[in-house]
Amino acid sequence: MDDLHVAVVERADAALDVAAALDFVSDPRFGGISVFVGKVRDFNLGRQVVGISYDLFVPLALRTFRNIGERARAEIGAPMKLYIAHAKGDLGLGDLAVVVAAGTPHRAEAFRTCRLAIEAVKHEAPIWKQEHYVDGDSAWSEGCSLCEQPSEGAQDHSGHDGHGHAH
Amino acid sequence: MKVRIALYGALREADPRGHLELDVPPGSTIADLRELLAAHLREHAPQVNAGLVRISAFASSEEILHNHREVPADLELAVLPPVSGG
Repeated sequence: MDDLHVAVVERADAALDVAAALDFVSDPRFGGISVFVGKVRDFNLGRQVVGISYDLFVPLALRTFRNIGERARAEIGAPMKLYIAHAKGDLGLGDLAVVVAAGTPHRAEAFRTCRLAIEAVKHEAPIWKQEHYVDGDSAWSEGCSLCEQPSEGAQDHSGHDGHGHAH
Repeated sequence: MKVRIALYGALREADPRGHLELDVPPGSTIADLRELLAAHLREHAPQVNAGLVRISAFASSEEILHNHREVPADLELAVLPPVSGG
């Protein structure tokens, strides 16, 4: 579909590209664009982080991104373009892990679309983060179980479902 | 029947090949497969927390397969621990 771009980008091949995301969601119909950029940060749960490796089940991740786009379109009920790209492989501090951009006629829909999409990516896409620490140790992050299907219209993942959402 | 299961995230450490094969009786459900995988890990990959399988999902490349679903024949599956993207 023309108004939805989804991608998984191997870090060894390229970095995620915010300018490309903005370009994709730009449209004469749209006066509002919202972008979320997730980056690798240097500290988590009391430990000094030096890098992150992302593992993805790529075909299902891409399908999940598309489903999120379709859901956003139904939820927002306005014209929109949505860009979702996630990095794969070994990332260093400051590297871009995820870029989500939404273009809509007005800012309210743009913010909502972008928020809905990034929360869904974090909670539903088959992606795993392994943190590497300054002491040489590594650990897979605890995450959200996919055993339970998300309930219809449950867009408010603001932290009342029991696992704290430190991620 | 043989079912090939691709491993992701923390469960990758169960087998350096990134997948394993289980012998599954025909007609088994995903719930049955979950039990078989947990037992396999306890025996063959004690370094992995087999309890992780309890909160992992099974999937094809197209969809999550919930517990009541029959294990599809001739289709590679994946086991997905809790996710942590973004």
